[in-house]
Amino acid sequence: MKLRSSIIIAACAAALAAAPAWAQFKPTKPVEFIVHTGPGGGADVLARFISQVFEKENLAPVRFQVSNRDGGGGLRAMAYVAEKKGDTHAIAVFTGNWLTNPLTRAEAKYTIKDMTPVVRLVLEPALIAVKADAPHKTLKDFIDEAKAKPKTLKQSGGSITSRDNVVRQLLMKATGADWAYISFPGGGERIAALLGGHVNMMVVEPQEAGEHIKAGNMRVIAQVSDKRLAGFPNVPTIQEAGFNIPNVEQVRGIVMPTGVAPDVIAYYEDLFQRLTKTATWRKYLDDQQFQDGYMKSAELAKYFDVFTDQMRDILTEAGAKVVR
Amino acid sequence: MEALIGLGQGFAVALQPMNLFWCFIGVFLGTVIGVLPGLGPAATIAMLLPLTFNMPPTSAVIMLAGIYYGAKYGGSTTAILLNVPGESASVVTCLDGYQMARKGRGGAALGIAAISSFVAGTFGVLGLMLLAPPLAKFALTFSSPEYFALMSLGLAMVVLLAGASMVKALLAMLVGLWIASMGIDLFSDSARFTFGTAHLLDGIDFVVVAIGVFALGEVLGNMEKRGEGTLLPVPKGLRNLLPTMAELKACRFAFVNGSVIGFLIGVLPGAGSTIASFISYGVEKAMSKHPEKFGTGVPEGVAAPEGANNSETGGSLVPLLTLGIPGSGTTAILLAAFILWGLRPGPLMIQDNPELFWGLVASMYVGNVMLLVLNLPLIPLFAQILKVREYLLYPIIFGISLVGVYTVSGSIFDCVLLALFGLLGYLMRRLDYPSAPLILGLVLGNLMERALRQSLMMSNGDMSIFVSRPISATMLFLAVVLLCLPLFRKFNSLRIKAIEENG
Repeated sequence: MKLRSSIIIAACAAALAAAPAWAQFKPTKPVEFIVHTGPGGGADVLARFISQVFEKENLAPVRFQVSNRDGGGGLRAMAYVAEKKGDTHAIAVFTGNWLTNPLTRAEAKYTIKDMTPVVRLVLEPALIAVKADAPHKTLKDFIDEAKAKPKTLKQSGGSITSRDNVVRQLLMKATGADWAYISFPGGGERIAALLGGHVNMMVVEPQEAGEHIKAGNMRVIAQVSDKRLAGFPNVPTIQEAGFNIPNVEQVRGIVMPTGVAPDVIAYYEDLFQRLTKTATWRKYLDDQQFQDGYMKSAELAKYFDVFTDQMRDILTEAGAKVVR
Repeated sequence: MEALIGLGQGFAVALQPMNLFWCFIGVFLGTVIGVLPGLGPAATIAMLLPLTFNMPPTSAVIMLAGIYYGAKYGGSTTAILLNVPGESASVVTCLDGYQMARKGRGGAALGIAAISSFVAGTFGVLGLMLLAPPLAKFALTFSSPEYFALMSLGLAMVVLLAGASMVKALLAMLVGLWIASMGIDLFSDSARFTFGTAHLLDGIDFVVVAIGVFALGEVLGNMEKRGEGTLLPVPKGLRNLLPTMAELKACRFAFVNGSVIGFLIGVLPGAGSTIASFISYGVEKAMSKHPEKFGTGVPEGVAAPEGANNSETGGSLVPLLTLGIPGSGTTAILLAAFILWGLRPGPLMIQDNPELFWGLVASMYVGNVMLLVLNLPLIPLFAQILKVREYLLYPIIFGISLVGVYTVSGSIFDCVLLALFGLLGYLMRRLDYPSAPLILGLVLGNLMERALRQSLMMSNGDMSIFVSRPISATMLFLAVVLLCLPLFRKFNSLRIKAIEENG
């Protein structure tokens, strides 16, 4: 009797465990892979690379077709995803801009809340660099001079909502130092301004800076990262350098429309988890000096909230007009 | 000497059958997408990028670069034949190229464009090969104040692009500057002139305005003259389809001017080929013995901008390969490609990857020859387009324009904008407003405003930053001279008149 009931229990348990397998979602037609940039933009290159790996490693039964919905500073792609409610064959690359842009744009009809978080994929660390012949050997040197002579030092960077400026705002607030921020639209122009001696400091992506450091044109004085990057074992992070500010992450991952069943989300979570285990992906992360930021849907939803709140405060302080 | 050894090594790489093949594929694809308006080299390279992951990087870069400079050859075709700029830098080619076609010299204009592209393209590679490292250093001395001065100089070209009325030209330019200011402002992250719609947050694409004002405006204007039934004359015989010796001779200076200006502007990250072609056209006109004939179909007016456009390619590879700094959308994608292949363009590139650098340089010589051979025989074929009757040709131009704009953005909103700018172009034609100043304002407006604000942020609001730096001061001085030129001419003619009356 006892034996029989335990057999039944075991059988039931086996059936329960197998159940999701029958109901499990699998894409049946090509998946639309939405990006907010035109061909060649950062998100586009990432999406094309991912769909290439899917194909090469046979990770998915269907093709992932990159769909460029550029325009409106990313808002067009966001609206496109949000309005695809219930579509199980559409995913999109999100970046930090998807979280911050709606904060300052009254034109935005949707925010990241109108999408289903799927996974977080990469965190892009950054470096704080000065020209090689600059007098600043450490971040402290730079901050001290900026304190002693306010508004004379300059930093090149992107728009005022970009990470470059957020790092600056946080550092200025923590130390009372003051330096100017000059916006350039392209990464190349930012580096050119530093190398030409027209500005004193910049926040630069490691793979952008690598060659310039090797060639002795640029010196890294701190890292914007939780832990030291493999390529820069001797450079302290901002926190290690003695500046206690929250770390500002540049994030990329995947979202999809709302109104999809949990097994659909689970499918894509798993698909991307398998992607992150491939050797090709690891090599990509190493080459780009990105950090593996894999995070599942539930955690990612919480992360969105925290990130958005943090950015709202920072942007308000940076002088941007926050609308929501 | 070092360059010669490197080049020899490079040719050994570029002339391998495999690399010759990829080079041909690249320049061929480039020509095709150049001819088609809308789809540009940047988008094409990005879409082909995944295919290159399995190729040896040298072959891949040879092919992708082929697309880049091949597109510039092709861009002039529709500009000359249909007044539809095939890509942004061909706008200036429309001015005289299309007029030449209307006078029955369409084939000649295509020929001159091809020859000028070849000469200047080769010059650009030569410059890349010999001058890359020192010029890259020079480019770094250029910063916002210098860019502002360069843009001012470019904007002063308006006096050269003006027709009968200077006031009308200035008005058109101001409209262009206004359009350029639409969208999100980089410095304050606030939206300007977007009328509450997200469609305008990125501003208005230059291609939409250029195709609308030039191509659609022209078609609408010509449709009025219905009934006259004038077809564009296409002379028979191959000889009449090629440029004459006299025409080539007239272009001598333009070849040199286009080559040098295109290359120098290409070296500066953040200027671009459209600006290069405008400036070399302006210089050509300013130096010409018959400036009044520009805009009516003079061969120099085709040779100078086409040359500058192609020479710019070699120039723009200088900061990319020696500093890792991309100066345009296309070079930015090339940079992304290099990184995906595991290469890092930068100060050490030539040293670390000599085979790739010199292979690329050598392949560009080869590719330019291929393009010339590919393009010259196509001229008689393309010129047949002009024989198509108006009731067919005009709908075709409308179709090409619409498809072109749609492929750039995939947005119907842009197609509506295209229609609006077509109407604007038509009205400007009817009311005798020149359209080139509008385009000039649009191209330069953004860069100029940005440079001005960056400079003032650097100097904490002190205007003297523009005159205390020698390069900037020189260019601003030239701009002022250029602006005052018409006054002197007027003064001079008044003086002569007065003397004659007195005498």
